[in-house]
Amino acid sequence: MIMNSKSMQSHHIHYASLGSPWSAKADKIQSATGIMLGCFLLAHLHFESSILLGKEAFYHVVQFLEGGLFTSSGHGMPIVTKVFSIFIMLVVIVHAAVALRRFPAQLGQWRALRRHMQGIKHKDSHAWFWQLVTGFILFFLAPVHIFTMITNPEIGPHLSAERVYHANAWLLYALLLPAVVIHAMIGLYRVALKWGLTANRRGLRKVAKILIIYLISIGVLSLVSYLIIGRELTLPITPFVP
Amino acid sequence: MSQGRTLTFNIFRYDPQEPGDKPKMVKYQLEEAPGMTVFIALNMLREKQDPSLQFDFVCRAGICGSCAMVINGYPTLACRTLTSKYPKGEITLMPLPGFELIGDLSVNTGKFMRELAERLKLWLHPRQDEIDIHRIEAPMAPEEAAKLYELDRCVECGVCVSACATKQMRDTFVGAVGMMKIARFELDSRDARSVEDFYHVIGNQDGVFGCMTLLGCQDNCPKDLPHMQQIAYLRRKMAGALV
Repeated sequence: MIMNSKSMQSHHIHYASLGSPWSAKADKIQSATGIMLGCFLLAHLHFESSILLGKEAFYHVVQFLEGGLFTSSGHGMPIVTKVFSIFIMLVVIVHAAVALRRFPAQLGQWRALRRHMQGIKHKDSHAWFWQLVTGFILFFLAPVHIFTMITNPEIGPHLSAERVYHANAWLLYALLLPAVVIHAMIGLYRVALKWGLTANRRGLRKVAKILIIYLISIGVLSLVSYLIIGRELTLPITPFVP
Repeated sequence: MSQGRTLTFNIFRYDPQEPGDKPKMVKYQLEEAPGMTVFIALNMLREKQDPSLQFDFVCRAGICGSCAMVINGYPTLACRTLTSKYPKGEITLMPLPGFELIGDLSVNTGKFMRELAERLKLWLHPRQDEIDIHRIEAPMAPEEAAKLYELDRCVECGVCVSACATKQMRDTFVGAVGMMKIARFELDSRDARSVEDFYHVIGNQDGVFGCMTLLGCQDNCPKDLPHMQQIAYLRRKMAGALV
């Protein structure tokens, strides 16, 4: 009996001491999908904020991104948004799956984290805590937004304003915007240091802080623009054409 | 230098050996002296006010790594912390979290470091053909020796372990000290272990792929070791190991 348990134990230790290539893969996938999503967010917020330059500017951005150059009518094709949204959804799912490794899923881990935050003053650890909180929030908010873009991919100065004002999406966006911006910018900052892409941490931190304020600002302003446009629209709306 | 002001120390007191003792914060007051460090203050407190106060020290010069503790929320060495750094004159001292508590401010970092060294095999593994005591050792390039020496400056004080939220959440995580030592042998041309061998030791959630780059190690290390660069180097090395 003793012999048996001993040999089992040594077998177990031997097995556990071997590394799995998936440890490296999971880490690389998390970083790669994170960079993809972070860069996409930077572009996305600028595209949708083109409404601040007027309805016409936004119309042309959508027209260009939806392949209006290749249609006979000259309008964009919402199917492009639909397909791209499905792709983004898949990237989000993969990112969430590997990022789950980081969650303090057990109560003991959560309490250890809180105790550490109370006892030790350290800004980057606190920043990660907010990334954790916003990441958790995004589990629920991001899919709602992406699903809407898959089922109703129509975008335009009036179509988007209808969604924001008449379909009450403003509430979702008001919550989603700060969560996703904070999560993504702290994430991009960390991923650059994590793989040693830069050693200029101070500069990077400053850039991340500025980007958080800047992106939330343009996001809020464009959200307000859509609310103002939406309030002036009567249902059923007619899509904007310059 | 604000000479002669009264310093107030709030010190964590708890003796696990004493039945019925409960953790508590105890307040002490002491007149500040020129050039006083927290380490000097603690010795004065023990000598003049409370001989039962437990804390560790050996070298009083930032070399032995024994007197690490959490001072006003920052894990660091007491012997290298001047009391004049605190304009309010209030100093709160806590033992390093994440280690077995011996009593008051004294923690068993030695036990942790020994277990870590055994688990990660933190010693030189010479090449088989070099185990010949009659042969003259091959000289090491000065650049390589300097690189190794830089990483060998670690005093095993335990600050990086206490400053790491990842380590606090995941007890089996090797922490910056473990990775620093692995990197030291990885860089050593005399060590026979391959990248794959190191991968089997730290290529997992308890090693480089468990590190979340919170950088508590980098920001608190009293020896200013390049943890951020070193862990990133190891991560890149390990990420390319088993592909």
